[in-house]
Amino acid sequence: MKMENVILVFMKDWREIRRNWQIILPVVTIPIVFSVFLPLVTLLIPYLAGTSMSATQGFESLINNLPSQVQLEMAEMTEQQRTIYMIALYFFAPFFLIIPLMASSVLASDSFAGEKERKTIEALLATPISDSELFLGKTMVSFVPAMAVTTLAFALYSVIVNAISFSVFGGRMLLPNLVWLLLIFGVAPTIALAGIGLTVIISARVKGAREAQQISALLLIPIFILLFGQASGAVVLGPLVVMALIGLFVVIDALVIYLGVRLFHREEILSRLA
Amino acid sequence: MPSTPAIETIGLAKRFNSFTAVNDLTFKVSEGEVFGLLGPNGAGKTTTIRMLACLIPPSNGSASVAGYDIAKDASKVRENVGVLTENPSLYERLTAYENMEFFAQAYGLADQSKRNARIRELLEFFDLWSRRSDRVVTFSKGMKQKLAIARALIHNPHIIFLDEPTAGLDPESAKSIRDLVERLSQQEKHTFLLCTHRLEDAERLCRRMIIINKGRGVAVGTIEELRNRVERGHVIEIALKEVDRKVVETVKRLNHILNVDTNCSSGLMRISVEDHDSVTPEVVRSVVNAGGQVLSVNVLRPSLEEAYLKLVKKEEGRGQLV
Ligand SMILES: Nc1ncnc2c1ncn2[C@@H]1O[C@H](COP(=O)(O)OP(=O)(O)OP(=O)(O)O)[C@@H](O)[C@H]1O
Ligand SMILES: [Mg+2]
Repeated sequence: MKMENVILVFMKDWREIRRNWQIILPVVTIPIVFSVFLPLVTLLIPYLAGTSMSATQGFESLINNLPSQVQLEMAEMTEQQRTIYMIALYFFAPFFLIIPLMASSVLASDSFAGEKERKTIEALLATPISDSELFLGKTMVSFVPAMAVTTLAFALYSVIVNAISFSVFGGRMLLPNLVWLLLIFGVAPTIALAGIGLTVIISARVKGAREAQQISALLLIPIFILLFGQASGAVVLGPLVVMALIGLFVVIDALVIYLGVRLFHREEILSRLA
Repeated sequence: MPSTPAIETIGLAKRFNSFTAVNDLTFKVSEGEVFGLLGPNGAGKTTTIRMLACLIPPSNGSASVAGYDIAKDASKVRENVGVLTENPSLYERLTAYENMEFFAQAYGLADQSKRNARIRELLEFFDLWSRRSDRVVTFSKGMKQKLAIARALIHNPHIIFLDEPTAGLDPESAKSIRDLVERLSQQEKHTFLLCTHRLEDAERLCRRMIIINKGRGVAVGTIEELRNRVERGHVIEIALKEVDRKVVETVKRLNHILNVDTNCSSGLMRISVEDHDSVTPEVVRSVVNAGGQVLSVNVLRPSLEEAYLKLVKKEEGRGQLV
């Protein structure tokens, strides 16, 4: 495998993607909504409402499931602090798993299925670039920007959360903490890869990028389960759960990427155009 | 000494599920030759080119291109071959130059100044240099076609597959493509496999060709051989001031005359003969001697088009390899 060919494919796809508003728009706006708009709205309400509010009622069962150390810490907090703490550190966590998944599958479906749909794949496959160089270049062009927007979203979110916690917790900054670092740099990449692998598999079967994208949205289901599971107090995104998630997605990654590589054979791609 | 052929196929076949797109195709193309691949829509021309360019695997049979086996040495074949695919297959969001640059690098042109010079040379040849920074999406159909041909030539390949190169081109551009193919094959010994529906292109460029129909080879050979397969001999067409019974009778009595056809209103007499070289002078002399006033004499041969149509039809009626 020649790395310069991988980078060549990566740069070519990146140029195409960069100029495609239908891709850039969702990949940029959804992270901003999740990391800036929604947090501002949800966090500013308890912040402005002050101590009079007791919104933690809804989180009662979630709080009870938290590790005892965190519970101890929270026992000393005011209602307002508790609310902000819960929302900032727990409630929003699953959203940061949606970001890499959504971004990577939008990018991958354009790079894999889109290239087939636009019929540019034929000239590409006629070149001496090998299947694995193509596969890796296209995986990278889906992975790198997806992780970039995830990291950026996390940075913006941290700024907002810290700005509020700074004033509410008397100079304390809540982010980053261990769980969130694991989430962003451990779970998010494995989820992004799972999204890419699944999209590659689907892209081999469907005609266009749109179908590929819609089907790979299936991976959102486990994330929504997490979201609601946490809201109901059934699961807590603590270090153990996060480690388990990483393990789970590493297994999924290995599986879908193995299948994806097996399906990504130039000879198959054009035969199956029909 | 017979050198290895540039392209050789033996019993090449392709099935898509139960549908047979190409069936038992065997032909040879030698170096520097422009070989035509002719046939009606859906005959299997594009499928054949795709197999030879190692884009899809054959279901049966074998082939070698540039001395490499398409099944065993696919990457070597790809390096040595330039392909104009049926769809222009260009990145529409990239500019003409960016397209060329990507493919130049993909084909291993690492040296930047050489690469730039090559791209410039090709884009100038195809009149696209002034539009090099425009995105391909803004190009007309013919401009895209030219850019796709330029791309196929980027690494100066010795074997070039052209799938309908002149489709969508204006007469002048079509001619410049024909001239280019002619020049590259004659001066630089490049080998071309040319798929086309324009019989004038085939007639002008291809020394030999294969006609395929429904995936099967119907006939292989030079234009002359193909013509002879459908109709032996030629037609001498003599335009007279006036068609006279006496003239016709005289001609009919000559040796080696297959048939005489007359058209009184236009004054045309069409004489079918086996070999025009030896007969024409004698025919003309006897027409003049019989008092015929000759305005012009033409030797007509069955056109490639006639030959093509007949060969394809014949095949359809019989449904078997001739
Ligand atoms: N990927 C595919 N799956 C199924 N059938 C296919 C596929 N590719 C081609 N075919 C079929 O194979 C046959 C030959 O197609 P091909 O494109 O080779 O024809 P062609 O000779 O190039 O025709 P045209 O002159 O119209 O370009 C057609 O009937 C076509 O439907
Ligand atoms: Mg075709």
